[in-house]
Amino acid sequence: MFELIIFFFFAVVTIVFALMVILHRNPVVGALSLVASFFALAVMYILLEAPFMAALQVIVYAGAIMVLFLFVIMLLNLQHQAEPPTRPVQQFLGFFLSIAFCLTLLFYIVKAGTIAALPSTPFVSDARAIGYALFEKYIFPFEMVSILLLAAIVGAIVLSQRGVSLDRRPD
Amino acid sequence: MAFDLTDIILTFVKIGIILGVMLNVTPIMVIIERRASALIQDRMGPNRVGPGGLMQPFADALKFVLKEDVIPAKAHKALYTLAPMFGLIPALTTIAVVPWGRPFIIPEMTMFGRRLFEGGRLFEPIVADVNIGLLLIFALASLSVYGITTAGWASNSKYSLFGGIRASAQMISYELALTLSAVGVLMAAGSLRLTDVVARQTGHFLLFDTIQIPAWNFIPMFLGFVIFTVSAFAETNRLPFDFPEAEAELVAGYHTEYSSMKFAMFFMSEYMAMMTMSALIVTLFFGGWDIPWYNEPATFPGFLLSALAFLAKVGFMMFVFVWVRWTIPRLKYDELMRIGWKVFLPLAVVNVVVVALLIAMGWV
Amino acid sequence: MIPTHYFLILSAILFSIGVCGVLTRRNGITIFMSIELMVNAVNLTFLAYARQNHSLHGLVFVFFIMAIAAAEAAVGLAIFISLHRHRETIDVDEANLMHW
Repeated sequence: MFELIIFFFFAVVTIVFALMVILHRNPVVGALSLVASFFALAVMYILLEAPFMAALQVIVYAGAIMVLFLFVIMLLNLQHQAEPPTRPVQQFLGFFLSIAFCLTLLFYIVKAGTIAALPSTPFVSDARAIGYALFEKYIFPFEMVSILLLAAIVGAIVLSQRGVSLDRRPD
Repeated sequence: MAFDLTDIILTFVKIGIILGVMLNVTPIMVIIERRASALIQDRMGPNRVGPGGLMQPFADALKFVLKEDVIPAKAHKALYTLAPMFGLIPALTTIAVVPWGRPFIIPEMTMFGRRLFEGGRLFEPIVADVNIGLLLIFALASLSVYGITTAGWASNSKYSLFGGIRASAQMISYELALTLSAVGVLMAAGSLRLTDVVARQTGHFLLFDTIQIPAWNFIPMFLGFVIFTVSAFAETNRLPFDFPEAEAELVAGYHTEYSSMKFAMFFMSEYMAMMTMSALIVTLFFGGWDIPWYNEPATFPGFLLSALAFLAKVGFMMFVFVWVRWTIPRLKYDELMRIGWKVFLPLAVVNVVVVALLIAMGWV
Repeated sequence: MIPTHYFLILSAILFSIGVCGVLTRRNGITIFMSIELMVNAVNLTFLAYARQNHSLHGLVFVFFIMAIAAAEAAVGLAIFISLHRHRETIDVDEANLMHW
């Protein structure tokens, strides 16, 4: 009962802030609304008995990725450029198609109804269990992701350099 | 998850105590900082208002309330007003997972012959004893960037924007060193709960088989302790890392355009963050509420003694914050970033390896 | 206990809000933020099913999705900075030449 109240409150918060992301003109307000939306999603993850994932969501998404977004928006001074309004045809088609997609998905989910009874034993999802899984069964994807992150760091640095000329003689 | 009315009332009592302490930190630290800085700089601090200057915080609070609240013309009004509140949220919520006393059994209380409270319930002086306590602290600490960044941007002024951007770059750089240096503590405790971390530190090391040294974490993990403390200075934007606040020492960085109560809220959130970081350093490295060489019983006097010990340690740590501020000069910004990435991050990794070796050899 | 299909409904709504953002906005950063919203909706679906079936594999997959989304955000924003430097705009409709 208590959980249902928390669920509905934070579901409404998530949806409202997600709508503000796509509807507000100012990208800084959009980024901050996305932070609020991610925070409400972290509460959802706690309701799903995955507190480790909730903490990770706040640390990685709300605490690092969105800071990166805010940096780029503020440093490029993007809020002063008025975004030209989208063509009405594109807007109408975009809204119509996404609402149709949403309604189709909701229809099939509600039609399927309750999937199965939830198991009654508690879900062991703490850091220790995930740590064991990561280092025993998923060790190869773990190492691959670390190499991918390294590639992303190097790529980001190279892409954002100001035209380094290739024929600079070492002197 | 069965909890009843008594649990709810006890939780509200705990929240009341924590909030009372956190909200009173600012006036106490204001006077202590000014008198301590005067002591270090060989002068008298404020000593006019009240006996020995003790009513100075009231004068400051009155000044903040009565000042005119100016909002710059082209500032983004909504975000400009909300930014100081963003700063308060991580400072006030992180303290909820820190244990501040010894858990004790509440005795049976009777008043006027009627049994008021049946005994036997364990009172745990920690507001939220979650399984992922340490991770929650890092999660909420990483949200403290937003108050400063939003304040810097919403003021619509060049100095504020640069101060805000530099502050956020500094804070996210030192978060990495902070998190990695706490991994050593996590490995020793074997669990993310802060009560387990403190429980591990209540024992004693035996030196030469006779001398008992309290098993506080700063002894085996000294490198981690140093890195964590310095990163805590960087996270709370205190000297020697307060370049974003005192940018060019002409204008005040990200809170240039703020006046009266909004500025007071930034002030408060900085002191509260300082208190939270001190409480964290004490919990992770100095044994939390543990009194050395004394085995506190699980009764109410034992709890009081341990809570007082915790407060004393946190108070000492905050004095160290003030002491360092008035002793060490400010770092240049590129030096700050270089040290954060090129010195502290590798040292924190070294710390993890060293602690792993110590645990493997059975010394921790 | 909250039934799983409540979470699936929330995830579907978030995903379609993300789709709407990608289709209707012209600001590149806003499109990128809508993509992050879609990724989070998928994360929610994975976690809902992980709880339903008590499987750790769902949690580990969400872990990897978060790591990869972080890498993608870094590289994507670097691309936007590059685009802004050359074209002074991040309107994605203006970036319609392969090479000028």
